[in-house]
Amino acid sequence: MFLSFFYKLKEMGVPVSPTAFLTLHRALANRLISSLDQFYTASRTILVKSERYFDIFDQVFAHHFQGSELPDVEGLAIDEMARALLEQWLKDPKAMADALGMDEDQLNRMTPEELIAYFKERLKDQDGRHDGGSKWIGTGGTSPVGHSGIHPGGMRVGGVSRNKSAVKVALERRYKDYSLSGPLTQAMVGEALKRLRNLLPAGPRDQLNIHESIYRTMKNGGEIEIAFDRRMKDRLKVILAIDNGGWSMDPYVSVVQTLFDYARAQFKEVKTFFFHNTIYDTVWLDAARYRKPVRMAELSRMDPETRLIVVGDASMAPYELMSRDGSIYVQGRSGQPSIECLRMLVHTFPHSVWLNPVSAAMWNYTRTIMMIRQIFPMFELSLDGLEKAVQHLMAA
Amino acid sequence: MTVQPSDASFAGATRYVLDEELAQIVNISMSLEMPLLLKGEPGTGKTMLAHAIAESLNMPLIVLNVKSSMKLVEALYQYDTLTRLNDSRFGDSRRDVSSIEAYIKMGKIGQAFTADQRTVLLIDEIDKADTDFQDDMLDVLDQMEFDIIEIDKTMSARHRPVIIITSNAKKDLSDPFLGRCNFHHIAFPDPKMMRKIIGVHFPDIHDDLVDNAIAAFYHMRELEAVEKRPATRELINWIRALNADPDFKPKRLTKGDVPFLGVLFKKSGDYERASAFVNRRKMF
Repeated sequence: MFLSFFYKLKEMGVPVSPTAFLTLHRALANRLISSLDQFYTASRTILVKSERYFDIFDQVFAHHFQGSELPDVEGLAIDEMARALLEQWLKDPKAMADALGMDEDQLNRMTPEELIAYFKERLKDQDGRHDGGSKWIGTGGTSPVGHSGIHPGGMRVGGVSRNKSAVKVALERRYKDYSLSGPLTQAMVGEALKRLRNLLPAGPRDQLNIHESIYRTMKNGGEIEIAFDRRMKDRLKVILAIDNGGWSMDPYVSVVQTLFDYARAQFKEVKTFFFHNTIYDTVWLDAARYRKPVRMAELSRMDPETRLIVVGDASMAPYELMSRDGSIYVQGRSGQPSIECLRMLVHTFPHSVWLNPVSAAMWNYTRTIMMIRQIFPMFELSLDGLEKAVQHLMAA
Repeated sequence: MTVQPSDASFAGATRYVLDEELAQIVNISMSLEMPLLLKGEPGTGKTMLAHAIAESLNMPLIVLNVKSSMKLVEALYQYDTLTRLNDSRFGDSRRDVSSIEAYIKMGKIGQAFTADQRTVLLIDEIDKADTDFQDDMLDVLDQMEFDIIEIDKTMSARHRPVIIITSNAKKDLSDPFLGRCNFHHIAFPDPKMMRKIIGVHFPDIHDDLVDNAIAAFYHMRELEAVEKRPATRELINWIRALNADPDFKPKRLTKGDVPFLGVLFKKSGDYERASAFVNRRKMF
């Protein structure tokens, strides 16, 4: 009974186990369930073990027992774009024809369905983000489909702002899953703080634990055994370097700052610096990166026991990292490639981590992330990532 | 109630507002003899539920408060070596020093197993302990027995207790653990439900005060980047404070004048943020 319901749940990504399914049947056999309402409550409490899946469970339940539509995740995003395309077409058929690289007559002979099919075809061919180039959909290229390109017909799809490419919006639904383990939000600050509390130094085991000593001595029947605990050393110093340039980091800057503001009392000192994309010769004390520069040489004079935490998406053009004058700001060019600066930082501060709000699953798609990972131990800016980062920072 | 305790079902208690869904879940877990794992924000009444079950079914309640340093054996039993050493030295007690069994004291789980009648066992804040503790404990609760190594004796439960486990963690517990529990997530009550809860705690309080206080409370809860958001417990204490203050007028709340912020926000950082938020509201 209810086998298809069970498999539908599994298919939709709810981790259900056969044991739990058998338990549900035990409940049914014991006549504990007598109505559909009761079945709903019982099956959820027995099968679903986390509130994160309650929403999917509800959808599957409604689908199975009331025949409602299951949301077609992929279809939704593309349909949204198709609708925008159609509007564009109705407004200005000529520009549209140019955009799709066919003449107006040809376009007029196409039905709306054919047009959309053509558009979707192109969209699906592409499986990564794309900038520049002349065929695929992305930003800044000459391809007709996409936006802020130089092609006159380049159109905006789905009412996207300049900051996000059309493809990014189309793909946004796919990232939805990652949000489960995904980047830190203001609401998670309390939980994240608990992870940070472990950022405490540990000294040698030279403090007598009287209670434990007495207990063990008693257990030995009077034979004296002495137990030692670790002594707390001085509190730690922390340097926080935050990439606050560009829209991609905006949502995370305030979260990270709030987090360390709260934790401030726990450390000897927390210094916050700012940079854009990657670190060259200078970092800044002010968020505008203008008034209070701090040279690299000053950093290298700081206590090497300081924990260095870099927060950034590590995504940029490779030349910004590798080239000698790679900085996108003229005054920032120091004749030394940024990657050397990063190496020096890690060399100065042996206890350092890089926290990246980009989901770990996507790291291998960005060249600069891969390169920086070879220098810095990189962790996701999520609850789990934070926990691992703290572990790493505390390892001897 | 006239039904027998053995097949009694749970229908709420005097100081607990129960929704129907939760009542059903509790009853199913009891008849399937499975532990019920409750998750939810602090202050949504997870712990209170166990108290309410114990009260309504007339069973004794045994509470195991989990601590981070806790070992499983402490929850099961304790071998009181100190007393035994003392007795062997001075010999002025009636206990038999040669029998170790006289020096075994039951821990909370042990007490629930050896009790004369069925009990409600509340295991509070399981997420504080490490994963090994959690898995091992579930083994014990699954088998309903444990060994006392010192006297080589197996203790079996005389009555299977009703087990309620609470967790505050946003992170999930381990899979084998979850596999053996039923699960429910208690959502934070909506204002309507909250009204009822307040009604249960303050039967004869002024409507005006409660409505304004609840509205202000939900507004304060929207404040972001707060380490600990105020929950039901804080609201109840806050209303108590407002009620006790003879100078307080409920109208002031609507104007953005919120007294006793310290009752709602208990971390200093949160408090500062909240008072800045309140002052800003007062200006506009």
